[in-house]
Amino acid sequence: MLSLIHEPRESPGTPPDPERAALAALDRGSSDDALALLMREYGTAVYRYCRQMMADDDLAQEVQQMTFVQAHEGLARFARRSSLRSWLFGIARHRCLDHLKMHRRRYKRFGPIEEASDLPEPGGSAEDRLSERSVARVLESCLRGLAPRVRTAVLLRYQQGLSYPEIARLSNEKAPALQVRVARALPLLRRCLEERGVAP
Amino acid sequence: MSRCDRFETEAVLLLERGLPLDEHFSACPDCLAAQAFYDRLRQRLAAVGEGDQPPVGWQVGVWERIEQQRGRRRWRPWWGLVPVALAASLAAVLLVRMPEPEPVFLKAEIEAGPSVQRGDEAKPGDSLRLTSSTGGARHAELRVYRNDAELVLSCSAESPCSRKGEDLQATLVLNGIGRYQPLLLFSKNPLPKASTQGLEADTEAALAAGAEIELGKEIVVR
Repeated sequence: MLSLIHEPRESPGTPPDPERAALAALDRGSSDDALALLMREYGTAVYRYCRQMMADDDLAQEVQQMTFVQAHEGLARFARRSSLRSWLFGIARHRCLDHLKMHRRRYKRFGPIEEASDLPEPGGSAEDRLSERSVARVLESCLRGLAPRVRTAVLLRYQQGLSYPEIARLSNEKAPALQVRVARALPLLRRCLEERGVAP
Repeated sequence: MSRCDRFETEAVLLLERGLPLDEHFSACPDCLAAQAFYDRLRQRLAAVGEGDQPPVGWQVGVWERIEQQRGRRRWRPWWGLVPVALAASLAAVLLVRMPEPEPVFLKAEIEAGPSVQRGDEAKPGDSLRLTSSTGGARHAELRVYRNDAELVLSCSAESPCSRKGEDLQATLVLNGIGRYQPLLLFSKNPLPKASTQGLEADTEAALAAGAEIELGKEIVVR
């Protein structure tokens, strides 16, 4: 019997699609191989996201590792209703919000963890204002001023480039509500930057 | 001269929704300047934390944790259980001699309304069941705040709470949509009364009075 199945072939020299490679590993029953692929492909992106959410290197590392450990537990049951990437960010988002909630208690008791010392004062020197690093640093500090649920929406949309339907699925929220949240956050970021005399 | 703020009040959301902007926005200088600002801001956000890199070899930590979990689940031969059994017996003897309070915890579960069956999703009319252990604290109180602002439950031993020894329980019907944050406050000293100023102010006052707080899972009712 002749079966006609169209299988898109990758052209020579094209790196294999990590999602497909990870799904193929799952089909073989190897969660370990799938996780290794996901860590190689998305490890840095997840860390970047966690770093901005937590504003702390050690916590970001902890949450990033927990994300992949939890992913390993769930990979065998991955339902393939979304990409592995957005599924992973769903876990990372959940872990970050959980950690931040726990730290709110500590924050209340011992005061803010972040110090403002690394931030240029409003109306700092022209050199500071022009410096690329300084702009990035001020923007990071402005992001930290957003509530965690707002910050996560902004980061997933713009830092990670996920679409609103993807973010809605991974966070179990409605896309229009997320759009409103981000649309309200952007003017806040604008004002924060302007108060510090910084233009993006 | 006042600045046109239509870009922030209308256009930012339209752009997030992928909708076209009306003619005003291509003619108004303030709006054009705002649009240029937000275009640059979005580019900046895409590059936020560009230099952030996890430490070299971070994957090793992940595999170690996975191995630890596997080790805990792995079957052991019977002689491997001897030290475990001995340790358990010793622990049992010590526990009988020195009773320790239960660790503090707060568990929040949703009970669906009578006609509906669903998983974790909460809808108006569902109930929130709180189960907690106060860890032997003399004073303990369960509270639930809606949207971090409205106190919708506050009780210690009186209804709707019930306390038996260290166990403190309550059930709350979730009447409105919103985020519900359960808390268990406990202390050896009397707890300050909840105010009308919301979660932040109340937790601050409780912590200042020497209380400790256990946060439960936030429940979203939609």
